[in-house]
Amino acid sequence: MDALHSLFAGFETALTPLNLLWALVGVTLGTLVGVLPGIGPALTVALLLPVTAKLPPVSAFIMFAGIYYGGMFGGSTTSILLNTPGESSSIITALEGNKMARRGRAAAALATAAIGSFVAGTIGTALLTFAAPVIAEVAVQIPPSAKFALIMLAFVTISATFGGSPLRGLVSLFLGLAIGLVGTDLQSGQARFTLGRPELLDGIDFITVVIGLFAIGETLYVASRLRRDKGSVIKLEGGASMNREDWRRSWKPWLRGTVLGFPFGAIPAGGAEIPTFLSYTLEKRLTRHPEEFGKGAIEGVAGPEAANNASAAGVLVPLLTLGLPTSATAAILLAAFQQYGLQPGPLLFVTNGDLVWGLIASLYIGNVMLLALNLPLAPIWARLLLIPRPFLYAGILVFSTVGVYSLNNSVFDLFLLALFGVLGYGMRRFDFPVTPAIIGVILGPTAESQFRTALQQSNGDFSIFARQPLTAGILLIVVLALILPPVLRARAARTAKGTMSAER
Amino acid sequence: MSDIPSPPPIAARRGISVPDLLVALGVTLLGLALLAGSLKIPFGINAVVGPRVFPLIVSVGMTILGALLTVNVLRGGRAEPAAEEDTDPDAPVNLGAAGIILGGFLLGAVLLPTLGFVLGTAIMYFSVALAFGERRWGLMVFVSLAVALVTYLVFTHGLGLSLPPGVLKGVL
Repeated sequence: MDALHSLFAGFETALTPLNLLWALVGVTLGTLVGVLPGIGPALTVALLLPVTAKLPPVSAFIMFAGIYYGGMFGGSTTSILLNTPGESSSIITALEGNKMARRGRAAAALATAAIGSFVAGTIGTALLTFAAPVIAEVAVQIPPSAKFALIMLAFVTISATFGGSPLRGLVSLFLGLAIGLVGTDLQSGQARFTLGRPELLDGIDFITVVIGLFAIGETLYVASRLRRDKGSVIKLEGGASMNREDWRRSWKPWLRGTVLGFPFGAIPAGGAEIPTFLSYTLEKRLTRHPEEFGKGAIEGVAGPEAANNASAAGVLVPLLTLGLPTSATAAILLAAFQQYGLQPGPLLFVTNGDLVWGLIASLYIGNVMLLALNLPLAPIWARLLLIPRPFLYAGILVFSTVGVYSLNNSVFDLFLLALFGVLGYGMRRFDFPVTPAIIGVILGPTAESQFRTALQQSNGDFSIFARQPLTAGILLIVVLALILPPVLRARAARTAKGTMSAER
Repeated sequence: MSDIPSPPPIAARRGISVPDLLVALGVTLLGLALLAGSLKIPFGINAVVGPRVFPLIVSVGMTILGALLTVNVLRGGRAEPAAEEDTDPDAPVNLGAAGIILGGFLLGAVLLPTLGFVLGTAIMYFSVALAFGERRWGLMVFVSLAVALVTYLVFTHGLGLSLPPGVLKGVL
């Protein structure tokens, strides 16, 4: 019952008029930016970081919570009305939701996405409320060597195990790690890779890297191969709403999607993409209307959207209790914590309990606000999709410039931004995923520090990584995760070849 | 955003792709350059693990990955350009548009301290609109200035950030 007690204290923090206002600003801005095509939740949070620059930490994190959930809600609007998923976890929503909208059922598709997100978000937040303190209590006892191993696990699962090419994911990760090395080494005071530039002594700010790789890279890339035909935005009349039949067909997929999504968010396993695919497959198998799948089945929107939002809540479990981000958005939230001099992890529950519980309480509040904001106001958000592309991308670029320039008021940072923009362009052109690089930049320095602390505690004895049972176990999984997929793929290829030649 | 698993390349398109090869060699060279840089970092004093160990691991890893990527390209591997929301995979590649954006951005950045934030970012805004094919000149100038001005006012007056006013000092 400790969790409930702390939660009530959190609500006391979150329910002050000023903090309610910040939560409302957060969900509104999050939805607004999330709806815009070309901007996923990760970039939404990064772009809006400067907005919180002058706020006290509690208010800032309450606002982040709103932006985080708001960005997830907003993405489904774009997917359904424009058929353009902002990120891979919205692919299914776009697939089935857009078909629904084309059949004149846009209002129902938007409603089942919004209510499903609300249900999943609320259940997910409740699970977070009770799981987080328990895990935090255990996590205090994890030794540095095991923390290092956990970070390795996050690195490998995010870059190598999932996604098209493990090799390209790892190159991206190492690029991020290299960027993270630039600056003064905190333990020895030694300058590393600064090329003699005093501006680089403090390291490269992650905001510059994130905005450069995501926003500038995206703008350059889209400009170079712009789609000339305008994607057709489906008109929406009236708010988002569902009839009795829609409710009957939606509520079970919502719950099943939540059950699938939450655990996938909580383990370092490549984010929300897999549970949305799983939920879609499951609903397709269980439905009484299989003929509608692929043509706009409401279950195919309800389940995956719930899975998507439940995993967003799940992501906060390792982030808050271990300081371990399992998605690009979580990595940016982690960096935002670090900017306030806070290190998410088990100790945060002890040292900054009011902040953590205020944040968790505001997740419940933000969810309710988002539901109220999304159902009746859906037509207003839909209008955002009509902004002409030249003005939209120009606006994204100017906003990016504010974010980066305001860090240090330095033009040098803008040159760095341009450099990462070109890099981001190259990564899109040559099929390198961006997320591993972001995780590398943000988590690389932490990995190094845990690595060195572990070795200092063992007096330089490297066998600590093999002798500490938890560490050894996690590192074994890391190695398997690296080796198994290529081996299995090679075997599958050989078998396929074998059957083909046998058939001949 | 670009993490969508791409289908395996069509077997018909064999042969070595020169741009892919250059990228792979570039990654390898970057790894070697990092290695050279890491070796210049002095050992730490009184530290069990100095400031040089982790950079060494990263640079050696990068070099190995670069070599693997080179082998992959030499065996016929090639990258599939990412499919984004507003892109058309079949559209002719227009590097000029990307060049206009980059040029406008750098020009705006260089002029930003002297001309001020509003005019600097207005140049950037204008160049992106231009690169995306907008040609209503009057509207472009108006929207560029309006967006830059509103952004400036919101961030300086509303949020208390300090951005350089430049030539508009005293007016704003």
